[in-house]
Amino acid sequence: MNIREATLDDMIPMQNCNLHNLPENYQMKYYFYHSLTWPQLSYVAEDEKGRIIGYVLAKLEEDPAAEPHGHITSLSVMRTYRRLGVAEKLMTQSQNAMRDVFNCKFVSLHVRKSNRAALQLYRDTLKFTVQDIEKKYYADGEDAYACRKTLQE
Amino acid sequence: MRDLPSKEANLFREILKCYELKQYKRGFKGADQILKKFPEHGETLAMKGLFYNHLDKKDLAYEFVKKGIRHDMKSHICWHVFGLLYRSDKNYEEAAKCYAHALKYDKENIQILRDLSLLQMQMRNLEGYVDTRHILLELRPQNRQYWVAVAIGYQLLGKPELGVKVLTTYEETLKEVPSTPDYEHSEMLLYHNTLLEEAGDLQAALDHLDTIEKQVCDRKALKEKRAKFFLGLGRLSEAEAAYRGLLAVNPDNMAYFEGLRNSLGLGGDRPTDEDEVKILDMFKQLQKEYPRSNAAKRLPLRYATGEAFVKVADEYIRSMLRKGVPSLFVNIKTLYSDSAKETAVEKLALGYLASLDKSKGFDHSGAVVEPPTALLWTLYFLAQHYDFKRETEQALGYINRAIEHTPTLVELYMAKGRILKHAGDHVAAMGALNEARELDLQDRFINTKCTKYMLRADNMAEAEKTAVLFTRADIPNPLNDLVDMQTQWFSLEAGESNLRQNQVGRALKRFHQVDKHFNDYTEDQFDFHTYCLRKMTLRAYVSMVRLEDQLRNHPYYVRAAQNAVQCYVRLFDKPDGSESEEMEGMTEAEKKKFRSKQRKAELKAQQEAEDKKKKAAVAAAETAKKAGTPAAAVKVDEDPEGTKYTKCEDPLGEALKFLQPLQQLASDRVETHLMAFEIYVRKNKLLLALKALLKSIKIDANHATLHEQLVRFALAVQKASSAKTLKPSVKAVIDQHWSELYDAHGQDLSAFNVAFVNKNKDLGSVPHVISAAMSTYLINPSKNLGQAELLLFSVAEKGDKYKRTRTLENVLLVQKTLKGFKSSRQQEWKAKGNEWFPNAVAFQ
Repeated sequence: MNIREATLDDMIPMQNCNLHNLPENYQMKYYFYHSLTWPQLSYVAEDEKGRIIGYVLAKLEEDPAAEPHGHITSLSVMRTYRRLGVAEKLMTQSQNAMRDVFNCKFVSLHVRKSNRAALQLYRDTLKFTVQDIEKKYYADGEDAYACRKTLQE
Repeated sequence: MRDLPSKEANLFREILKCYELKQYKRGFKGADQILKKFPEHGETLAMKGLFYNHLDKKDLAYEFVKKGIRHDMKSHICWHVFGLLYRSDKNYEEAAKCYAHALKYDKENIQILRDLSLLQMQMRNLEGYVDTRHILLELRPQNRQYWVAVAIGYQLLGKPELGVKVLTTYEETLKEVPSTPDYEHSEMLLYHNTLLEEAGDLQAALDHLDTIEKQVCDRKALKEKRAKFFLGLGRLSEAEAAYRGLLAVNPDNMAYFEGLRNSLGLGGDRPTDEDEVKILDMFKQLQKEYPRSNAAKRLPLRYATGEAFVKVADEYIRSMLRKGVPSLFVNIKTLYSDSAKETAVEKLALGYLASLDKSKGFDHSGAVVEPPTALLWTLYFLAQHYDFKRETEQALGYINRAIEHTPTLVELYMAKGRILKHAGDHVAAMGALNEARELDLQDRFINTKCTKYMLRADNMAEAEKTAVLFTRADIPNPLNDLVDMQTQWFSLEAGESNLRQNQVGRALKRFHQVDKHFNDYTEDQFDFHTYCLRKMTLRAYVSMVRLEDQLRNHPYYVRAAQNAVQCYVRLFDKPDGSESEEMEGMTEAEKKKFRSKQRKAELKAQQEAEDKKKKAAVAAAETAKKAGTPAAAVKVDEDPEGTKYTKCEDPLGEALKFLQPLQQLASDRVETHLMAFEIYVRKNKLLLALKALLKSIKIDANHATLHEQLVRFALAVQKASSAKTLKPSVKAVIDQHWSELYDAHGQDLSAFNVAFVNKNKDLGSVPHVISAAMSTYLINPSKNLGQAELLLFSVAEKGDKYKRTRTLENVLLVQKTLKGFKSSRQQEWKAKGNEWFPNAVAFQ
């Protein structure tokens, strides 16, 4: 298992990984946009053969009304590579970059209300707190938990 | 805005603004207002055309823009507009010409120069880009973007040292540098450093890091660069410290471990015994330091050998089985390229199983009692291990035991499916995957895998039904969501399934879809040519440009191209599809029956397609009504069968289109030239076929398929020469290279073939045998059939000679080859196949 910063070469396998794992998908240009705007924030996990088996796609939320903070656009790990703490390691690296490179005070993300496993990861393992429920956040009408975590010690 | 009175001139300025603000309707009205008074005002006519373009009236757009130019040939606006129109149609070549024309009449127009430079970058006219960017820099020297653009141009031209000069000059003009780190400035400085590195002066690059350190935001990049430069300069102790520092922040980065190992002087793939001990010690230390690092635990298995390997593997595998890590086997099997390691792992795992069965521990010491799941994961591991060795019975035995132990674990059914797939029973494999899917309906991953297995079993209906369970539900045809989201794997798998079922049109549709995705990826870069100069993310930008230059070397494209070429070649060989693969080797009566069955099926399919289309149209209209979009905007597939492709005039020409990017980007792959041969030999382009053969020889002179192609080439030359169609000039070139192709065998193809057989008689490679048999047959089909059959059946010889390559795939290839010969020994071979692969449906 290799955890490293994502490069442009990772975008096609990252899109593939996302399409395998999650119902929220994006066109390639959106991946390019992330990597070409905040190249330090996205990370990938590779297996022994160098195949991408997990990723975190992250960005900066540059809402002028709020203080700068990081946002996790998408995170997933292939089912067959679970129980190695990959998601947690990816998140840790991305969060460090948010704090160190962009001076972010906190990081935010959304979780499907029905996705108990993900909520458990974010809340219990990664110490996020649920801030709010966003009604009908997802295209299919499902609500989202809006979560965040403070980054500065 | 030439020759307009002030009122209209103002209005014209306004419509230009409308264009910038994308208020096309308003702009259009304004243009009409001017034209009412001055119907021949060229620039306004051109602008009207541009507005038409954005209001989806292509024909009128071109008509008006051209009219505008006719009325005002010397207006830079007219030509710029014409360029924009071409650009929006992605005709970059013509657009660039128009811009160049426009610049004749307004040399220093910043907007046009910028637009031109974007096209030059997109088309990789890098010299042109540098020139244009130089002009812009002279016009706007106070602007940082213009400086870095020139530097980028030089770097991409392979002259990073000139890029360094440009940036140094720019940095010297800066009166003050940001006192606190500023992201954009920091990115520029790191880019500057990358140029120094690419120019090859590591010392200068290292020194430069010291000068920029305080202004850099991306500390990690700085540290990585420093470590790399130290190592490159042989300053090993400093490199060691730097890599240790990096590991402290990310102890799962393989590159950092590699860096550390190298800086300790322990590099290389095959360390000496002495170094091996040191490497293992190093990792032991690192494991203590970083107990949560997977890499520190796993890497020793790569370097350890013999007894030491057994020890570290034992420790590692036990801990993973205890934890229940599903990816353990996939992780371990990469070690099997060393057969000693494979044997050691097998022995360990079998030992665990024996102990767990008896004493609930991984060994008989009784010291530790493992959790009950340890047995489960050990069985799972062994099942995968024996599947890897293609020992199906063993593998199934272990996986069935595991399922008995825990009947609700998704991974077990996935493994079972995989075993069955490898054994040649795609339908049973799909069944296993569907069981897995039903155990966790919320998980898209298992849904995806299941869909893939359905496609492998050529069950398109089930596959589509399953795939759409996770696509967007709010569009008329949910399958389109897969296309919209650029789901490459689905297009490829579905296309390959279509091809297996001889639905060449449908298959080609899918492979063209993949090609289209790659076109879109290429288009995607356009906006970033401007965007990244603004954001200063230059290192990332350059890697995007370089990625794009190599894009079609991606395995997805290569796979699509190989399949598409195969489809087009098949269309060329059998244009009406009358002799499909299934029909080879049938008697006339059988063929007749088969054809009528096919026709009925076709009619039925046509009827169904019609119904489906009607239903889709109705549904589309419904959804559109609900969503409030006009019905015309909803796409209905007019050609589900892909007749557009099957009825194409020049299938080999189409095949070449797929091949060309590979000839450019993947010329180091023998497959590229093997494909090229198949196309050129059919086009009767003997010189190009020759060229392909020579390239293949250079890469892999003993490639199995190459031999058969050589024989076919000689036959084609013989045929052309006896038909007197071989031009003397062509013959001269072929003669000149003849001995490179056929050694000293001259025209004696049989001798050439026998030499090939002898050369490879101890290789034990089934593909080489097939190639030799094929060649034997082709040299004289009526006389050599028996001999060719004998060759093929030699694969079934007793002993281990062919065991390694007697894979299911190869045994099926032999069967196909016999079928092609219309051999009377097909049943005999089938029985052999059944003996080796009792689960394989093809031999039952």
